[in-house]
Amino acid sequence: MDARLRRVNKEIADCKNDKTSHISIDLVDNSPFHLRGSFDGPEGTPYEGGRFEVDIVIPESYPFQPVKMRFLTRVYHPNVSSASGAICLDILKDAWSPVLTLKSTLISLQSLLCSPEPRDPQDAEVAKHYMTSKESFEETARYWTQIYAGGPGKDGKGVVQKGGAKDEIAMAGLNKAHVDQFEALGFDRSKVIDVLRRMNYRGANIANINDDRVVEELLK
Amino acid sequence: MSSDYEFSDNDDFEYNDDEDMLDDDEGSASDMEMDNINDDFKIDKGPKIKVYEVEHDSLPQDAVVYLMRQDIEHISGIFGVDSEVASLLLRHMNWNKERLIEKYMDNVNAVSVAAGIAPPERSPEPSSSHGGPRRSSRLGFTKSSKSKSAEPSPPASEPFVCPICFDDTQQKTLSLTCGHLYCTACWSTYVSSKVRTEGESWITCMAENCTLVAPDSFVRTALADDTQTWARFQELLVRHFVSCMPSLKYCPYPSCTNTVSCPGAASKSALTSIVPTVHCGASDTHVFCFGCAIDTDHRPVICAVAKMWLQKCRDDSETANWIKSNTKECSKCQSTIEKNGGCNHMTCKKCKYEFCWVCMGPWSEHGTAWYSCNRYDEKASVDARDAQSRSRASLERYLQYYNRWANHEQSARLSAELYAKTEQKMEEMQLASALSWIEVQFMRKAVDESVRCRGTLKWTYSMAYYLEKGNEKELFEDNQRDLERAVEELSELIESPIDPEVIMSLRQKVTDKTVYVQKRNEIMLEDTARGFLDGRWKWNVDVEGFEKD
Ligand SMILES: [Zn+2]
Ligand SMILES: [Zn+2]
Ligand SMILES: [Zn+2]
Ligand SMILES: [Zn+2]
Repeated sequence: MDARLRRVNKEIADCKNDKTSHISIDLVDNSPFHLRGSFDGPEGTPYEGGRFEVDIVIPESYPFQPVKMRFLTRVYHPNVSSASGAICLDILKDAWSPVLTLKSTLISLQSLLCSPEPRDPQDAEVAKHYMTSKESFEETARYWTQIYAGGPGKDGKGVVQKGGAKDEIAMAGLNKAHVDQFEALGFDRSKVIDVLRRMNYRGANIANINDDRVVEELLK
Repeated sequence: MSSDYEFSDNDDFEYNDDEDMLDDDEGSASDMEMDNINDDFKIDKGPKIKVYEVEHDSLPQDAVVYLMRQDIEHISGIFGVDSEVASLLLRHMNWNKERLIEKYMDNVNAVSVAAGIAPPERSPEPSSSHGGPRRSSRLGFTKSSKSKSAEPSPPASEPFVCPICFDDTQQKTLSLTCGHLYCTACWSTYVSSKVRTEGESWITCMAENCTLVAPDSFVRTALADDTQTWARFQELLVRHFVSCMPSLKYCPYPSCTNTVSCPGAASKSALTSIVPTVHCGASDTHVFCFGCAIDTDHRPVICAVAKMWLQKCRDDSETANWIKSNTKECSKCQSTIEKNGGCNHMTCKKCKYEFCWVCMGPWSEHGTAWYSCNRYDEKASVDARDAQSRSRASLERYLQYYNRWANHEQSARLSAELYAKTEQKMEEMQLASALSWIEVQFMRKAVDESVRCRGTLKWTYSMAYYLEKGNEKELFEDNQRDLERAVEELSELIESPIDPEVIMSLRQKVTDKTVYVQKRNEIMLEDTARGFLDGRWKWNVDVEGFEKD
């Protein structure tokens, strides 16, 4: 049997047999080389209570070349692209070793959620948010977990209906009063959110941003 | 060939009216200076080198391997280590012998660990059979058919199961001195994947976090009969060595394995006064610039200006496209890097330089400046818009140069067609006259010369665009205009229909014009090269290596 196939099949079987890690790996179509992994958001983090899905592509030269992974579930995290789900993690690149497995890699992703590395960001805007105010960042990350990963609500009860009305301001990690302030000047609300998010109009950073500069951006 | 005309083949072709063609402002003092500088470029062998040429040698792969061996033996002798250890040490230190000696004398262990020869001090090693001193002077590796290795092996009753392929029927295993044991088949696939897919010659152990590096003999063993991959591995070693030597450059043409040695262009400062166009020696068409990544002859313009111009052409015509395109140049070693996957943290295969895809800034600086790459898109789009609305006059000025540049570029691209047409014409001529095949070769020579001159002309437009207004620029453009006119006249002659009545006179005209065009080209190249050596050219923008005034 093809060595790659044997290995992947064994990895999938091992994962099925392991009931303690709550990590699952499923076939997307009929090929064992395109998979979907999922794991629980780690406890004590804004991702707690969410279930995170990862797209897994096994390259031709696996396990000698790293597996390709990308978040399917949208995640608010400095090392994950908030738009594409692309992940910046060393073992998915240069630090890959053929002895690593799909499961061990998914566990590494799980621990990446525990310990963001904002100095090596994949998503610079999110990293900015993290650096400016960890508290506000975590609130937003929790909201995303709730909206996209089926996490619990802010007060711990109930889950926001998936696909339900999203609070765009909370999604962007902004303060409603700030958005209102610029919206009152006659700018489109979504544009205000977009500009304030890009400018990192949050917490202590607000002191560094002149209102005129915001207006200037809004006029562009 | 008849002797009524002689050109192209003769490197010593002399122009009697050389001086007359140059601008009169040039005093005799500077001419004498020129001759001295010429002498510096001259080594006692070979034909006289022209002012716009640079002395260089072509080295086949074997010759480079020989240079590598010399360094390895030297280090091996000094340190008292075997040649495989010396080789890894040198490769680790990018073949900088002096630095290696200094570092090694300072801290043998640290260098040995970094060079992948010894495991780190406190690594959780399996009960080590090679405990002793960390210093390794000898590299071994374990090859076994049965699990006879001293390293932890499964109990004798159970068969060896390779931790990578989970195959328990593989009885042949290999490990580096760290003892991490895997089946030979896995090693072979791994090494081959590193070499072929990644172009990597620094092959670490497959175990996670193990930093030991496979020495050549191990690679050889792992690859067994795969001689193609082994050859590729050796080529990678040579390429790495060459890239570490400022005076060497690998031929950029596909599947060519020659190296060019050009000490005269080894320093960055030399590139402000010379354009080191070199031939690799493997083929007449393998012409490239030793000083930059442009794989063609960009004389007479120096590298920095040529590069600036190419960048401008790309930016102005398709800014958006360029940014989105999937390849970029490593800002350190200029090799082309393809983006794969979504992550912006890029590592150049060749020089290991780490940078951010978006802002091209070094990744190490992202700790403090990571936000800058976020602004890039914004800025680029602003720039693009600015470019659109930039004052009409400057855009038109640019287009004027660009169109001429593009015109010659296109002509050069169509040269294959022109050659085919000319070939046909030469046959017609033979039929229509008493001329022999040899005697109609003048047509081919004419085409050769026109293609060559269009190459020169093309680059003169990039130079003229950046030249500061003034007397020098006017003289430059006079030479340019003369060359351009001559080339166009020659092209017209080449393309004129064949009339049997006038073939002999056409032949004379083409021949004369070819000589004239060649002469104009020489003047253009020589005068521009002299100008660089004299520091005569002034720019209307900042050019790397030139003083601002
Ligand atoms: Zn194996
Ligand atoms: Zn190892
Ligand atoms: Zn070549
Ligand atoms: Zn160059």
